[in-house]
Amino acid sequence: MSPPAADSIIESVAELVAHALELEYASQAHYEQLADSMAVHHNPEVASLFQRLAALSGEHAAEVAARAADMTLPRIPPWAFKWECPDAPEGADCLDPDVSYRMTTAEAVAVALHNERRGRAYYLHVAASATDAEARTLAAAMATEEAEHVALLEAMLVETGAPQPAEPEDLDPPHMPA
Amino acid sequence: MTAAHGRSTEQLKASIPSLRAKDYKSDVKPVWCPGCGHFGVLAALTKTLAYLELPPEQVAVVSGIGCSSRLPAYLAVHGFHGVHGRALPLATGLKAARPELTVIAAGGDGDGFSIGGNHFLHACRRNQDLTYIVMDNEVYGMTKGQASPTTQPDWCRSKLTPHGTGMRRFQPAAIALAAGASFIARGFAGDPNGLTRLLAAAIEHPGFAFVQVLSPCRTFRPEQQEWKQLVHACELGPAHDAARAAELIQRDDGLGLGLLFEQKIPVYAAGVAADAADTLTAAERLAAIEAEHCR
Repeated sequence: MSPPAADSIIESVAELVAHALELEYASQAHYEQLADSMAVHHNPEVASLFQRLAALSGEHAAEVAARAADMTLPRIPPWAFKWECPDAPEGADCLDPDVSYRMTTAEAVAVALHNERRGRAYYLHVAASATDAEARTLAAAMATEEAEHVALLEAMLVETGAPQPAEPEDLDPPHMPA
Repeated sequence: MTAAHGRSTEQLKASIPSLRAKDYKSDVKPVWCPGCGHFGVLAALTKTLAYLELPPEQVAVVSGIGCSSRLPAYLAVHGFHGVHGRALPLATGLKAARPELTVIAAGGDGDGFSIGGNHFLHACRRNQDLTYIVMDNEVYGMTKGQASPTTQPDWCRSKLTPHGTGMRRFQPAAIALAAGASFIARGFAGDPNGLTRLLAAAIEHPGFAFVQVLSPCRTFRPEQQEWKQLVHACELGPAHDAARAAELIQRDDGLGLGLLFEQKIPVYAAGVAADAADTLTAAERLAAIEAEHCR
């Protein structure tokens, strides 16, 4: 694994908390958006799952916000956060090919699992690279929390079974030529 | 917000931005297909408005017709969902009547370059202080997938054009430049944070700012998923010389992202001359905002 770029290194607890807050807000927004989409496209089971995940992310965001109460956070422009993906690690990849209005619960859990793993990887990266010792410790704790979310989703995936490659029949397909 | 650790709500607000992207979203659920690029534009725009701390009641988003033109419904700012191709006339009138508002027009490539093509040309040369976001997916999606002005001539997956249109594609950036636009940029829906930077610069630009956003249509142009791998940082940079920008835009493959052109020319404001004192570039204005608000 190559060393992290200098401009991706977290330098303080306040900077880490600002990133964590953005990560959780983005995660909540992502799941809310997916829940809304699935509700609009008459996929209530998956909508319900995403609603639950959005609520969980909201709780995590509230916890991070509470942690931020004792500090002044840096105000970071959306394009200047120190992560390498286009959006926050648990945020939306709006072009995710695995997201479909026909997706099953198993596929939805797989999407969420991918997101949570990215979140855990981000905190592990900070825990290993931050220049501030306290920030490293806090990031390691956050990575542990994310690992719990990952384990929860992995257990759900065992329950639902792995996503099946074949998509269910589309009862209202787009009108395209054969 | 509840107080945490015994601290007051006011103290919490002091360290956490008072307006978040979420505060600019309405309760209306988007009907866009999951996986549609327009979600990225919505996310980028709400982040931009929050970052610029624009009060929702001071922002108006105006649109025409099409999938992308549903945008105003999903925002918690003033909105006007107009008729096909007429987002820019509506925005022009609104800005003339209410110059204190931040007015943003939005729509798709069919709405903006075909039905509203003539308005696009004149909005460019008029240089009123507007931002125009075109979510370009090279297809009419709402009407089930017909060729638009930016569709490739050999795209033959529509029943209306089974052998392709045979017509050369509309070149939005080049035409905007030729028509006199003072700010031209291209973003990608799959890069909402990069797009946020462009939208912030566009809104801060004094004059007509045109932002073409490559926004894949998941349903009718699934091959546009490849854009993720094909888009690239534009080599043009902020080319302030129009002749050089024209040459470079013509050479670009249409997938280059960034600020393509910016120029200071008088802003149309019901006969009022441009603010001659404002000579900052978009990058300089963003840097000034960052210096003022961040860290």
